[in-house]
Amino acid sequence: MDNARAWLDKIHAFEFDRPIKIMNVCGGHERSITHAGMRGALPKWLELVPGPGCPVCVCPEEDVYQAIRLALHDKVILVAFGDMLRVPVNVKKGEVRSLAEAQAAGADIRPIASPIDARRIAQDNPDRPVVFFAAGFETTTAPTAAMLAEGIPDNLSILLSGRLTWPAVAMLLDSGSPGFDALVAPGHVSTVMGPEEWSFVIDRHEIPAAVAGFGTESLLASFYSVLRQLKTGERFLDNCYREVAHPGGNPTGRRLLDHTLEVVDANWRGIGIIPNSGYALRPAFAQHDARLLFPDHTDPGRRRAGEMPPGCDCAQVVLGKIYPNQCRIYGKACTPRNPVGPCMVSDEGACRIWWAGGVRVAVDA
Amino acid sequence: MCLAIPMQIESIDGFTARCQAKGVWRDVSLFMMQDTLPVVGDFVMVHVGYAIQKIDESDARTTWELLDQILEENGA
Repeated sequence: MDNARAWLDKIHAFEFDRPIKIMNVCGGHERSITHAGMRGALPKWLELVPGPGCPVCVCPEEDVYQAIRLALHDKVILVAFGDMLRVPVNVKKGEVRSLAEAQAAGADIRPIASPIDARRIAQDNPDRPVVFFAAGFETTTAPTAAMLAEGIPDNLSILLSGRLTWPAVAMLLDSGSPGFDALVAPGHVSTVMGPEEWSFVIDRHEIPAAVAGFGTESLLASFYSVLRQLKTGERFLDNCYREVAHPGGNPTGRRLLDHTLEVVDANWRGIGIIPNSGYALRPAFAQHDARLLFPDHTDPGRRRAGEMPPGCDCAQVVLGKIYPNQCRIYGKACTPRNPVGPCMVSDEGACRIWWAGGVRVAVDA
Repeated sequence: MCLAIPMQIESIDGFTARCQAKGVWRDVSLFMMQDTLPVVGDFVMVHVGYAIQKIDESDARTTWELLDQILEENGA
């Protein structure tokens, strides 16, 4: 922790005559920042903004709705990462509004911790269709691709809601009002995809960026790096997680992603379509694509289809436009015990992380 | 969801490695490590049951300490 102290001292030695905002795009980063109480230890002029770092939060409402319907009406075994089970969809009062409620209503829904669990459940139940509802960023989608490439049982299919992180940052930067002065790039996305993926932040937008790990020292080092870049005018993609995030990323993982999946335009809940930001199964794997195998239950005419729940400002939180406690219902109608929006459901959601970190009072935006 | 945990490999059978972290054992897939296959005794970062990168022992131990702190907080 001596090194953490030294990084803090170096950061405090900077002087800026305007507020500086550093965005992170990883729930793990936000958890480390909040857990360590970093905001309280950093200078007043420095703001740490949680951005699009929660794949569960942006998973399309219609995909969650489809998963619920598959489990209820098509009698499949539906498996999903545990975070997805409590994510609410927008339905009339009294209707099943989450996978957890569908499970309580008798649907066969099983939380899993790994794509390997999905394969095992399919192997153990050869007479039943098993659907793996797979939401996640590149770090999680690559293992799903690996499972697919290695070979899966005929009765296992995938409802894929995989997303790429960098296009959301590119969209913010292209908007002209990104809302941040520097970027801390995600450590494990970079471990799989390679840190170079974030070079566009510097090359196209001249915004300082540094890849960070999840320890206090790595994060503080990345803050120092981008602040120094702002101060000197020099720009380069720094890597403060060299021990794990290697140049080129994980070549096998990238090859497996490319072999099994293609990059497509994709919807982000409450935000809309972001170009080239999603994964879809390649035609060679069509026999395992749940979107092709089962009826489409989504009804675009359904009230509030695709949106965040009423009153929930989760989309603004995800884009870093407001802080979690600036949401209109934070800590009032929406708490981890009774979450309204996905940002309060997921362990990666900024609202849930802030609540766990002791922020219990809402403030005006 | 992008949380990764360092584990040490105790045995390998095909692409499946028996791994241990602080007294917890798991079967971990090495299918994503085909370019630089680890060997018994190596430490790997494990995410959703897949090894995604090799890691030094000292870095593994530092990460375990960090995770301990976070788990302690979440349990409180």
